[in-house]
Amino acid sequence: MKKLIAILLAVVMVFALCACGGGGSEPAKPDDSAEKGTIKAGLVCIGDENDQGYTYNFIRATETAKEALAKEGINVEWVIKYNLIEGDPVAVANEELAEEGCSVIFNNSYGQEPAMLTIAPDYPNVQFVGCTNEGSWKDDLDNTHNAFARIQEGRYVAGVVAGMKLQEMIDNGDIKADEAVIGYVGAYSFAEVISGFTAYYLGAKSVCPSVTMKVQFVGSWSDATLEANAAQALCDAGCVMISQHSDNTTPATTAEKNGVFHTGYNADMMAAAPKASIISTRIDWTNFFVYAIKTVYNGGNFEPDYCKGFAEGDIAMTTLNEDICAAGTKEKMEEVIAKIKSGELEVFDTSTFTVDGKTIDSYTAIDMTGDFVPDEGEAVWDGAFHESYYPGLMSAPYFALRIDGIEWLNEAY
Amino acid sequence: MHNQRAPLFHLAKRTSLSPARAWTIRLASFVVAILIGGLIFLLLGDDPVSAYGAIITGSLGKKVAIRQTVKIAVPLLGTALAIAPCFKMRFWNIGAEGQITAGAIGATFFALNYYDKLPSPVLLIVMGLAGAVCGAFWAFIPAFFKARWGTNETLFTLMMNYIVIGLVKWLQGGPWEGKPGSQIIPNFASSAVLPKVFGIHCGWIIVLILTIFIYVYMRYSKHGYEIAVVGESENTARYAGMSVARITIRTMLLSGAISGLVGYMVASGANMTLYYSVADGVGFTAITVAWLAQLNPFAMIAISFLLAILDKGASTLQTVMNVPASISDIITGIFLFCMLASEFFINYRLVFRHDSGKEAVSE
Repeated sequence: MKKLIAILLAVVMVFALCACGGGGSEPAKPDDSAEKGTIKAGLVCIGDENDQGYTYNFIRATETAKEALAKEGINVEWVIKYNLIEGDPVAVANEELAEEGCSVIFNNSYGQEPAMLTIAPDYPNVQFVGCTNEGSWKDDLDNTHNAFARIQEGRYVAGVVAGMKLQEMIDNGDIKADEAVIGYVGAYSFAEVISGFTAYYLGAKSVCPSVTMKVQFVGSWSDATLEANAAQALCDAGCVMISQHSDNTTPATTAEKNGVFHTGYNADMMAAAPKASIISTRIDWTNFFVYAIKTVYNGGNFEPDYCKGFAEGDIAMTTLNEDICAAGTKEKMEEVIAKIKSGELEVFDTSTFTVDGKTIDSYTAIDMTGDFVPDEGEAVWDGAFHESYYPGLMSAPYFALRIDGIEWLNEAY
Repeated sequence: MHNQRAPLFHLAKRTSLSPARAWTIRLASFVVAILIGGLIFLLLGDDPVSAYGAIITGSLGKKVAIRQTVKIAVPLLGTALAIAPCFKMRFWNIGAEGQITAGAIGATFFALNYYDKLPSPVLLIVMGLAGAVCGAFWAFIPAFFKARWGTNETLFTLMMNYIVIGLVKWLQGGPWEGKPGSQIIPNFASSAVLPKVFGIHCGWIIVLILTIFIYVYMRYSKHGYEIAVVGESENTARYAGMSVARITIRTMLLSGAISGLVGYMVASGANMTLYYSVADGVGFTAITVAWLAQLNPFAMIAISFLLAILDKGASTLQTVMNVPASISDIITGIFLFCMLASEFFINYRLVFRHDSGKEAVSE
């Protein structure tokens, strides 16, 4: 009986605690948000920072953006939700962030946009951003936005680095000219991926004319084993340089195991494969975060779409692995980046590639009718294919041509 | 001799326990869970009181929060109701996850292909029927194998989950994909979306009706009686002239149909699309709900709501207090563990060595 009373007492105490907690947390909140110079921003992530790649790249940008805005007297309070793929959980997270007082909510993955768009109409004063997608800028809502970066520029430069290494191997007699084959591990046969590896290939070809490329799709954005298997298959097929558009470092480690080289995406992969990984390119989201948050903070509204490149500092290259890169890579890289910045060099210069032996002179970029077939927006003019062209077209990639010199080993939709 | 060999303590099944005592144990386990959870917050350097406060306000503090909490509870309750008859029959259906997914596929087929051909109410009913039929079909396969060849239903139903989830992945990237390469099935047209009642998709009304149905079915129908007999002893059932195979298949069909209906509600009401993790672990969490509720449908309402509060509240906790995201899983885990442990102590008791002799005599 004594035990029973003790238990009951404990119960009463705990409930009393809870009751206080419920009431106690209320008054603390308004003080926080009313604090001068503070703005809340939300970020909905497909993964978490442990991926050391895609989501980590966003988390890193939240920190740099916070620092940058702090210098301007704006205190950003980030609220981050993790591991949300699509569907209702994404909608719930957006709703929760809006309720929590976030003025801007960023969704970091393509698949989150449809769910985000179901919540946006209920919160007209909150700005919603669907990164890498294209449904928000063309809808009727003023508070939905898209954003991306001209990552093809970074891929092109990574391609130049890879091409220089291949050309050096040819010049040293390590491989014959026709053995300069790149193996590319792609996620899906999707414009974003196609655009990326084509830019990469063109970069390599600009310094190593005999280069060819094989692409193996894995049918997943993030599957370490499949990516490793694809990289191994490419090595077995004679590829001497591996690159990737997928989330894991296993293509880099597989390249190292096979004694070939590698360039990566989203993350510095030098630590994972010091003898293989030469360089990576990544999007730096800091500028966009700063721009969007600052505009909202000042009471304005930012553009429905956003896309910047090297010139504005939205594309970054990771540290060059100078132990294994070809001689003169650093200088060449700087030269190419400077040309991209000035507009002298177009990544998709139509004179540098052909499709079925023909130079392309027209391409329709945007689907406005919702049938997934592009029906407006000419992307080719002045001798170049203008990818992720905004303002004018849109930030989401639309380059989906199969150019000569790139062999697709499979397809994955 | 006997006493020397006896271990420090052993477990003994309780013969009877007054309901008051049983509820005291349950309450105590709840308190223990709160205290252990509080300890975790203390270790993290957070104030446990405001942390629990955040959980409560986050799940029940606002209208929106309550709506979200109910939205989480709906599939949990629905699926717990679905598996209850199977568990009563001692048929371990852990394939609700797959049956939900199969139901969602059936509903999505009509949502994508008939959204402009049928009036909305008819379409929604057809989608619901399709969901139930597909869910039932997915449950029928392991049930048939069990009835015909005595296969192990636990493994069979579990593996069926992965097959159907793979099927959705294929549909997402294949025939039902929207923009080529996107791996995304377009959102349903508004005619294929469940209407809202009090701001929550009307699935909550459906599951409440189902609760009453299952209660009556299990307690007052001939079917319910047969299920109970088979669960107690298959031989008794056979001796009484019941066809165990028929009862097994029939019960699994019902279970799958309800799971399929849940899949329809989640796809049409909450997600408005189909994607591979449409079931999102509900099929497994519902097992806990069903057990904790002792297969009592009305208790399931309370348990699923409690778990939804924990789920939603823990998620808010992460947003407002910036605790690591995995803390919410840890807190939910602690509560589940303590609650399940309490059921253990209601059914068994520890007998320590000093009174084991006495115990032996009484046996």
